[in-house]
Amino acid sequence: MRPSLLLLLLILFCLTPLAAQETADYFRQNCMSCHTIGGGRLTGPDLKNVTQRKDRDWLIRFMLDPKGMIDAGDPYALELQRDARGSIMPTVVGMNRARAEALLNLIEAESKLEKSQFAGMQISDRPFTPADVEMGKQLFTGARPLMSGGAACISCHNVHGLGALGGGMLAPDLTTVFERYGGRKTLATWLTAPATPTMQNIFKTKPLQADEVLALTAYFQHTLQRSPEDPATARLNFVLIGLGGTLLLLGIFDVAWSRRFRAVRRPLIERKRMEILHEQ
Amino acid sequence: MNVRSQISMVFHLDKCIGCHTCSLACKNIWTDRRGTEYMWWNNVETKPGTGFPTQWEDQEKYRGGWKVVDGKLKLRSTDKRHTVTDIFHNPSQPTMDDYYEPWTYKYDELFNAPEGADQPTARPISMVTGEYINIESGPNWDDDLGGSPVYAENDPNFKGLSHEQRQQLFAIERLVFFYFPRICNHCLNPSCVASCPSGALYKRGEDGIVLIDQKRCRGWRSCIAACPYKKTFYNWSTGKSEKCVLCYPRLETGQAPACFHSCVGRIRYLGVLLYDADRLEEVAKLPDDQLVDGQRSLILNPNDPEVVAAALKNGIHESVVEHAQRSPVYQFVKEWKLALPPHIEFRTLPMLFYVPPMSPVMASKNDDTVESVSENFFHDIEEARVPLQFLANLFGAGHQAKVVYALKKQKAVRMYRRAVTVGDIDLKTAERLLTEAGSSVEEAEAIYRLTSLCTFDDRFVIPPMHREEAIEMIKDPHEHRASTGFGFVQSPERGL
Repeated sequence: MRPSLLLLLLILFCLTPLAAQETADYFRQNCMSCHTIGGGRLTGPDLKNVTQRKDRDWLIRFMLDPKGMIDAGDPYALELQRDARGSIMPTVVGMNRARAEALLNLIEAESKLEKSQFAGMQISDRPFTPADVEMGKQLFTGARPLMSGGAACISCHNVHGLGALGGGMLAPDLTTVFERYGGRKTLATWLTAPATPTMQNIFKTKPLQADEVLALTAYFQHTLQRSPEDPATARLNFVLIGLGGTLLLLGIFDVAWSRRFRAVRRPLIERKRMEILHEQ
Repeated sequence: MNVRSQISMVFHLDKCIGCHTCSLACKNIWTDRRGTEYMWWNNVETKPGTGFPTQWEDQEKYRGGWKVVDGKLKLRSTDKRHTVTDIFHNPSQPTMDDYYEPWTYKYDELFNAPEGADQPTARPISMVTGEYINIESGPNWDDDLGGSPVYAENDPNFKGLSHEQRQQLFAIERLVFFYFPRICNHCLNPSCVASCPSGALYKRGEDGIVLIDQKRCRGWRSCIAACPYKKTFYNWSTGKSEKCVLCYPRLETGQAPACFHSCVGRIRYLGVLLYDADRLEEVAKLPDDQLVDGQRSLILNPNDPEVVAAALKNGIHESVVEHAQRSPVYQFVKEWKLALPPHIEFRTLPMLFYVPPMSPVMASKNDDTVESVSENFFHDIEEARVPLQFLANLFGAGHQAKVVYALKKQKAVRMYRRAVTVGDIDLKTAERLLTEAGSSVEEAEAIYRLTSLCTFDDRFVIPPMHREEAIEMIKDPHEHRASTGFGFVQSPERGL
């Protein structure tokens, strides 16, 4: 196929109105972790009849760049952030104007239904047991691998009290995530399909299983009793342990190679110099 | 009998004047490149002294050579197991400080210095870093310092000497030293070759020269730790190790190696020896006191028809055998037993032999008269300024008998020649001395000729190297025959 023809097909494909099913899938993948349509608020607000609450143009601008709107000091955006206990809606992967339009159309259509397919996931509400907490801890630390083969939480996240070295420092401390995300239902929903760009990249193809989500939620509820670790202390601990470990390793090397060659000429001269000094 | 040929050497220490001409000849040809400035493939040491690198003879420190463990030969530094564990950190590696940091002087400062009240000076700069340095040591830092409290006193060959004997050596009226020129010994059982993890070192089949393949060398430096004579060196610029090549390009064209050729004192002899490779391991495992004899027994008589037949059968060229029959080394080592291997207790079976040096004549005291000649003509061997044990540690693996034999014979030859030329000694007495020393008039004449009247051709009996035969094993020497000779950068085309 000639390159120009390929390009033409590509443009045609982009111009085709996004199919309804594709938009629904997109919503499920990217929005459902924080939003419902008619199911009450999770991390983000319930989107039922959102087009009636705010004009389309504003909504599209917000969907394209949530953080920008908040940084720009838009009063309604700030209010939304307050309602979400400070969580900022992430910039959604693959969001563009056409997609935003399609999403709003979908929300409008779904809002008219008595029971939307996006009214919220079925999250188990059986009480947590100590076994759940224990399993959650094992999943978090990687002692028990995730079923789908995803990376253990500890690679990037920390929870206070995980041991001297703690967890990763790449991503936020999760000690109080249960509270920040507004409780069990919200957190569990979010974990089922994490929507932030980083988490999505990792867990899109390797989603958490329902029982894993339950265990992790239980664990995060359990860790709520602790206060998050002070980053300065954590860093100091890390440096001190690192130094200690280095010294220990050097000590081991010193013993392992104790028969190694040491200087010959210099000690010879030093010894004589000391002898002469003593004689004087 | 597995007969092989080996280019071997004899250094006659009694003739060495310590002028370092050999070292400079070698340096100018081979080691004046960047990264090799600190190498001295040939160096001349003062004994007693610590040598180059400092105290190289002390294998407790440097761990070179072989040791016998449970009836097996093992490298002291890098046996098979340690090749793996120590490959990134060889614990027996000497540092540059134990050699010396090579330096030059900033001569341009003599011309470019701004006008001032003081004379301009050329300050020393390191040839490694280019920075100004304080010179702390050099390759012959202990040169002529026979009685120095740092260098001479720490000579590892004082092992086994009593405290009094050592102290006497440093008494001012007894000060003594001799010179000890060293090159690679091109050993029969080279530990450098055995230690190389890359298999870059090899002993040339046709002449026994030990070489490092610069293409295969990966700079692991195992050979540097393994060589007990510290005669392989690491080139920090190319990242490969280098060593004495016995000037093989000169040998292949019939010339003596540069250090041999330039030797002012004519102390160096070179010739080919035939030896039995089948018995190498057996000999290398002998107890210390039998090593010298063991090595001598490896060297075969090139006049023995059986040996000649076996040599020819093994592919040694007729001309090489013929040169072996005229080899001065064979005479010194095997026939006269004057030349001894250095530190054979390292068990690498070095093929460079030394004629031990005579000490300055000692006066003896009879009541109040000082006499330079005593009734016992050999007295100044046992009572020499250089203690016999010192020479024995250097050339006899700690055992004196072989050294005493070589010194006595030399002394007897001297006395015999004195009787002939000066005549103040009775010829009968001289002949008795020769008999006592296990020699004869004929042998004394031969020794005298090869020691004092030797020409180039007497000293260097260089066999034809027959490179064409060695190359035949690898490729066809006629490979390019009738295909080269007239080349074009661009091939001409005929026609339009």
